[in-house]
Amino acid sequence: MKHYGKKLISMLLTLLAVSFLVFAAFEIIPGDPALSKLGDNATPEAIAALRAEMGLDRPFIVRYLDWLLDCLKGNLGESYSYHMPVSQMIGDKLPITLTMTILSMLLTVAVSVPVGLLLSKYAYSKLDRAGYVANQFLMSIPSFFLGILLTWFFGLILKWFTPGGFVSYKKDFGGFLGYLILPSVAIAIPKCAMSVKLLRSAILTEADKDYVRTAYSRGNSTMEVLYRHVLKNAMIPLVTFWGMAVADTIAGSIVVEQVFNIPGIGRILLTSISHRDYPVVEAIILLIAFVVVLMNFIVDLLYRKLDPRMRRE
Amino acid sequence: MAETILEVKDFGIEFHDHDRPERVVEHVNFTLQKGEILGIVGESGSGKSMSALAIAGLLPRKKLKKEGQILFLGEDLMTMERHKLRCLQGDEISMIFQEPMTALNPTMKIGKQVEEALRIHHPEISAEERKKRALTWLKNVEMDDPERVYEAYPHELSGGMRQRVMIAAAMVGNPQLLIADECTTALDVTVQAQIIRLLLEINKTEQVSVLFISHDLSLIRQISHRVIVMQLGHIVEQGDVEQIFNHPQEEYTKKLIAAIPQVEL
Ligand SMILES: Nc1ncnc2c1ncn2[C@@H]1O[C@H](COP(=O)(O)OP(=O)(O)O)[C@@H](O)[C@H]1O
Ligand SMILES: [Mg+2]
Repeated sequence: MKHYGKKLISMLLTLLAVSFLVFAAFEIIPGDPALSKLGDNATPEAIAALRAEMGLDRPFIVRYLDWLLDCLKGNLGESYSYHMPVSQMIGDKLPITLTMTILSMLLTVAVSVPVGLLLSKYAYSKLDRAGYVANQFLMSIPSFFLGILLTWFFGLILKWFTPGGFVSYKKDFGGFLGYLILPSVAIAIPKCAMSVKLLRSAILTEADKDYVRTAYSRGNSTMEVLYRHVLKNAMIPLVTFWGMAVADTIAGSIVVEQVFNIPGIGRILLTSISHRDYPVVEAIILLIAFVVVLMNFIVDLLYRKLDPRMRRE
Repeated sequence: MAETILEVKDFGIEFHDHDRPERVVEHVNFTLQKGEILGIVGESGSGKSMSALAIAGLLPRKKLKKEGQILFLGEDLMTMERHKLRCLQGDEISMIFQEPMTALNPTMKIGKQVEEALRIHHPEISAEERKKRALTWLKNVEMDDPERVYEAYPHELSGGMRQRVMIAAAMVGNPQLLIADECTTALDVTVQAQIIRLLLEINKTEQVSVLFISHDLSLIRQISHRVIVMQLGHIVEQGDVEQIFNHPQEEYTKKLIAAIPQVEL
């Protein structure tokens, strides 16, 4: 329990540090939201008036604390360009990116564990070597390029879906999930390849350990040794990778959402950056930091579940 | 008349994992009777572990040539089908190893490991009954608090406790043959004595035959009824413990005995 208390405090401190850095970054980056809002031919008086109205004329630290307090109250401010509450904007888009992330993680886990088990069962065979080559190849293709290939093949050649024909989850949830399958595949493929590689090498490392010989000496078959003894031990390094993969998917949604024309978090982040819509950008970066920290926490939890040696304080 | 549990005939092992084949065990012949403790002694590298692993059915199947016969209750383990061999492993033939620190699965509770042989070979036994027998064996190996040990993980136990857990796990299925390969080598002297005492006791109460392997002659002398002396993959000499230690025939045996540290005398 004491461990989780410490963990929680360090999570909060991390988020606080990120919030400060994000806020400070937009202080340093050149560009004036008031100017970009009014356009280049605005009069200096108009700009000054708007700056005062937006509260931009107050000292930095006052604005930061003000913003932080608002954030804590759940008020993330208002978008400069869309004139709507940031929380509402994010709240609308988050389910899209989150669904895509969950789908791609489910795919990664569901495919990589059986394939990793298969390749390690037949380690050093022809199948394993073919698997290695395929893995190396798939690991090195960026998701956005995979996305373009998949869109071209399934969308333009096979016509299984309409590229760019995003379906809102509020209107048709089934259609929405269907549309997200290909982007999720594009995200999952390199992560899946990496997971297979990690799992295979972890299984082979574990297979050499003494407890495996003990398990055989009790009459376990190869499959039983693998499932009952080796797998749990070999999952430990994978869990770390999957935790990072979730955070990476959300941060990387900028690119994939662009390729597949999905109006998710990545998309608003991109448009908000180009519009200097700071409240939105700040909120999304905080959100990503939150996901990273949360995944760290979950990985730690799973670690302790998998490995009893970690449970000691 | 005593019942023969194990009969090893002209057994040999040749490794084929390098450029030249390497003979590591050759012309090994011995028998083991019911309830007997047979000690195998020899310097490191003399082929003791390879022989033990072969009897336990744990030698790698690749890049290795085996010859001769290992008859367990009259059936040849070397030509037996895998699934038949598996039925014996852990049920009739059990093994404990040198490294108690690594021989247990670090992510599995002790209890589950102790009762694993029962789960595999006796699915008809209920979970409660399995647990009862595991607890009985944990008590037999002198655990102060079997319930706690049952729920513990290996890292929570000392080396000596882990080796006792290994003995409990090996004995839970009531095997005919227990193979102990250097099972006290990694432990300190007082713990060694406890393990030896336990093995002697179990041998008597359960009538289990024991193949006790060690490079340590004084341990071999304490525990064995009969002794085999090995050197470079061959049996140099075998006989009753008294005969080997009091009237050794071979120069090599005499040399080994002369080299025993004489602290106890
Ligand atoms: N994979 C292998 N390839 C070739 N030789 C091996 C291999 N494994 C073990 N050996 C050799 O087999 C011999 C017997 O080893 P072992 O049975 O472990 O000896 P002991 O248990 O008596 O110390 C040793 O000389 C060792 O070098
Ligand atoms: Mg050895």
